[in-house]
Amino acid sequence: MKRTFGIALAVLLLAGVVTAIVLGRGTGDEPARLTTVRGVIGSEKLAFFADQRVKDVFARNGLKVEVDPAGSRQIATAVELDRYDFAFPSSAPAAERIQRDRKAARTYAPFSSPMVIATFDPIVELLTKAGVVRQGSGYQVFDVQKYLELAAAGTRWDQLPGNTAYPARKNLLVTTTDPRDSNSAAMYLAITSFVANGGVVTTPDAEAKVLPAVSKLFLDQGFTQSSSEGPFEDYLSAGMGKSPLVLVYEAQFVDRVVRADATIRPDMKLLYPAPTVLSKHTLVPLKETGDKVGQLLSTDPELGRLAATFGFRTSDPKHFNEIVRDKQVAVPQTIVDVVEPPAHETLERMLEAIAKQY
Amino acid sequence: MIRRLGPLVLAAALVAGCSDSADPAKPVGDAEPGVLRVLAGSELADLQPVLDEAARATGVSVKFSYTGTIEGADSVARGAAESGFDAVWFSSNRYLELVPDAAKRLGTPTKIMSSPVVLGLPAAKVRELGWDGKRVGWADIAAAAGQRKFTYGMTDPSASNSGFSALVGVASALSGSGSALDAAKISAVSPQLKEFFSAQTLSAGSSGWLSEAFQRRARGEDPGAKVDGLINYESVLLSLNASLPEPLTLVYPSDGVVTADYPLTLLNSAGSPAREAHQKLSDHLRGPEVQQRIMETTRRRPAVPQVQLGPEFAVRDLVELPFPGSQSAVDGLVTTYFDQLRRPSRTLYVLDVSGSMAGDRIEGLRQAVTGLTGADDTLSGKFSRFHGREQVTLLPFNSAPQSATEFVIPADDPAPELARIKTLAGGLVDGGGTAIYASLQEGYAVLRKQSASDPDRFTSIVLMTDGDNTEGQDFDDFRSFHEGLPAAERGIPIFPVLFGESTVDEMEQVARMSGGKVFDARSRSLSAAFKEIRGYQ
Repeated sequence: MKRTFGIALAVLLLAGVVTAIVLGRGTGDEPARLTTVRGVIGSEKLAFFADQRVKDVFARNGLKVEVDPAGSRQIATAVELDRYDFAFPSSAPAAERIQRDRKAARTYAPFSSPMVIATFDPIVELLTKAGVVRQGSGYQVFDVQKYLELAAAGTRWDQLPGNTAYPARKNLLVTTTDPRDSNSAAMYLAITSFVANGGVVTTPDAEAKVLPAVSKLFLDQGFTQSSSEGPFEDYLSAGMGKSPLVLVYEAQFVDRVVRADATIRPDMKLLYPAPTVLSKHTLVPLKETGDKVGQLLSTDPELGRLAATFGFRTSDPKHFNEIVRDKQVAVPQTIVDVVEPPAHETLERMLEAIAKQY
Repeated sequence: MIRRLGPLVLAAALVAGCSDSADPAKPVGDAEPGVLRVLAGSELADLQPVLDEAARATGVSVKFSYTGTIEGADSVARGAAESGFDAVWFSSNRYLELVPDAAKRLGTPTKIMSSPVVLGLPAAKVRELGWDGKRVGWADIAAAAGQRKFTYGMTDPSASNSGFSALVGVASALSGSGSALDAAKISAVSPQLKEFFSAQTLSAGSSGWLSEAFQRRARGEDPGAKVDGLINYESVLLSLNASLPEPLTLVYPSDGVVTADYPLTLLNSAGSPAREAHQKLSDHLRGPEVQQRIMETTRRRPAVPQVQLGPEFAVRDLVELPFPGSQSAVDGLVTTYFDQLRRPSRTLYVLDVSGSMAGDRIEGLRQAVTGLTGADDTLSGKFSRFHGREQVTLLPFNSAPQSATEFVIPADDPAPELARIKTLAGGLVDGGGTAIYASLQEGYAVLRKQSASDPDRFTSIVLMTDGDNTEGQDFDDFRSFHEGLPAAERGIPIFPVLFGESTVDEMEQVARMSGGKVFDARSRSLSAAFKEIRGYQ
């Protein structure tokens, strides 16, 4: 009798503990009420989605967003999308392809970032003399046409007249990522092919016409890194000697300035290619819940403000402009001379043609 | 309660992790939480104090297994690395990323530190060359080397990244086009490259051994001729200077360098605990204080811009030379180096075929020699085959030296000569006693004759025996014989291979007196040891 009582008491006590635990969890962070949404995203936005403030906004709207990073071009062609509620590549051509393949009704482009060239004061001066850099309205412009002329002639830095600042015996080339697997390299191809062709490349004839010149811009660099973080880190730490001109997303640079982590020195400057293209971060909803993420990103002012702190230009320019003003980031409010990238298939075909020449 | 358990479980896991697994595919054991199993370049060993601190700070400990850059790339490409490792950590990922099968297995890389490959020469030599305070380019260096105004040591480009980087650097710079190398550009500058490599008098399979041998020669502890300078990582040269009577002046070629950037790289196959460990460790190692400590401990440059470079880093803004963009360009360059550019080798193999070699042992020996004739089709095997222009002599012995057979590998059509070596190796038969030292002495007679008509070769001896000396002269006889040799012959390095019941002590003395190095084949195949020795020939 006593024994039975003991066991019963133990069971009761145990039940109490379990109840307390369950209740404790239930009243604490309410995980049960959140709907988990899974997305596959361009790796440039990983830090944004990992930010607790971003997670909190989603949680307030009943969502828990889990993301896997992948190359934007892989998202369009190689990733198994059935597992995800949304895809969020970093370029419009990739999104366009996904939208068509998956017959998505709509897409959201909540933020974007122009392709820019990160460089240093002595290089700016040198290239100004060489006619490649000129003063635009409120920002310095990198003349892609002039650059292509120098590159076509195989110009080395030490061949620029009067160059004592950077007399390196290597070709004057913008450092990019690997065209075989990176989105930013594809964006660079969008810019350079536009200039080489005198307009967006839309026909096979135009592709054939521009390929020799644009291929050289990649092949002459030799080894290139596969992700845009690599060359940008080299720019920050190894400096002018290694990477005098580096193609980056404007957001990468702005993000560092906003973070104020002392990585951006006063002699580091941004040049805006004329023309440039926007890396348009475009969300393609694959399921109902994914659509909700797209809506929130486009309309929630808090998310817009947070995106701007990561350096992205927001669909409502107010957020980005505020950050730029508050943190005194030296970037223009508006960029003129922005062109559209070629269609996804055209871009991919050109990239494949370049890859074959390695 | 549950939270308190965490560290306990972790501690138990760490203790368990101390015993190495017997599985050769997992030299550092199974995956476990809090441990990152890393396939790494041997030069990472100097980071151990920093990693010990990191383990205390983050709870993540690193277990290293060392290998060469190309052998490592091979292992990643074949998928072998995945079965025993979570991450790779070499001086550079460039070669790995050029091998498509390896590149696709690489996950997030985190660059931890950097060091350029430069030339170190004594200050007096630098003055003599008129280079004091001047901008010196690779072309100047190659011209002075061609006139033998200085000699230098460099690692084997197929075995070690510093030699590999130097080769790419000098070839890129001399080609002068400023863009990445291809076959046409390499052949256009091959006369200049030959000049540059003609002054190389010391080779090694690892940066560490190279600088040790250099020091021993500088102090006269090693019979080989003194070497003026070294091509090595800036970090190795700066560390070396701390112990040299006459420090080396670092020459940073003005046209550029190739820099190692040490990316700690997760393998895509790694599980979530390893991913987390990699992230934690990377974040820790890139913290400004730890970066400062890395710079002070290893003399490598920090990977984050927040840390100021110390005063010993004389040149700050280094121009980085372009690196080839395809595996075929790199492989072509390395092959050209071996078959056409480097000083050709003279390699003598003194091989034990006594009765104790019967069975698996003689078969292992046949395979080891055959492997060097091109039969080994791995990436590293491809580069370790006998090279164009190389003079190879096989001297088998038992109770007495047998007849020596000489082969010279033609640079343009090596196959028939390699096939002859293969035939001879396949026909090695065991039997008889073991006359180690009489045979070694006979080896010097062979080398003397060869060198009389063709003196300028990179000469070395491989000695493979599986047991005690049973016939002819003994070790003491050999020692006095060796002491009596003319300086040039006394300086020929001997590379004894420990095998079977080799007398370890005697073999070590043979290596020491000749400035060579012992290679152990008791716990691995003879083929692996023979392949490793290639880096020193």
